[in-house]
Amino acid sequence: MRKQLAEAQEIEQYLLREMPVSSRLVFQARMLVAPALREKVKYQRKTMQLVRWLAREEKRNELDQLFLRLMQDTAFNNSITSIFK
Amino acid sequence: MRTHEDQWLEEIYRNTLPRVAGMIYRVGGHLEMAKDIFQDAVIIYLEKQQQNKLPAGVPAEAYITGIARILAVRKLKQSGQHIPLDGMEGDIGVPADYYAPPPVAKPVLEYVKAAGKKCLQLLHAFYYDHLSIPEIAAGFNFKTEHSASVQKYKCLEKVREQIKQSDYAETVS
Repeated sequence: MRKQLAEAQEIEQYLLREMPVSSRLVFQARMLVAPALREKVKYQRKTMQLVRWLAREEKRNELDQLFLRLMQDTAFNNSITSIFK
Repeated sequence: MRTHEDQWLEEIYRNTLPRVAGMIYRVGGHLEMAKDIFQDAVIIYLEKQQQNKLPAGVPAEAYITGIARILAVRKLKQSGQHIPLDGMEGDIGVPADYYAPPPVAKPVLEYVKAAGKKCLQLLHAFYYDHLSIPEIAAGFNFKTEHSASVQKYKCLEKVREQIKQSDYAETVS
């Protein structure tokens, strides 16, 4: 794996807390003296947050579709709407 | 073709949504609120299931209703109302970032969605679905597990750089 990819892997291990404590401390020390590494960690964290955020959005849309489909079923529709009448 | 999860979801909607809707109605909520809260509870349940973080012996219906109650309490607290919590809710955690705003500005979000679609799908499989490398290799037609792993890091790097560049452009403009 080329150097940059190995670095992405190392950052991933740091963000997912999959690093042994000693390596974690060394990594944090490296971040203190290397603004470029610190920046990569910042944007990789954002990437992982974005993946999670988009996945939830996608799931919400899928569930909205399912809800709309089930609401076409009169019995199901009544079982829900009658509660709010 | 309907998957096992599709069938499961349909059953959950039929069995559990009326219970959640009844609870929401009793605290003064409306149908749209019940639907949103129920769906968020289902998503949280599925996330916990993927991460093997569900408590043993609690049926899905009870767990989802419990999460829905917590979400309703939070929503009503924001609007100044109050409903009591009971029993199991102490064991149920809503992810801290569940209602967090998108981590990047909207134009950045749209750019990354358009430019990095395939990579986002791959990263979704790794970081959200928690699929293993062999599952990803098979599902995304990689010849070897090593290629799947390398592609994941290439994608991570690509999307990370896209976010960084868009973030810079956003700051300058």
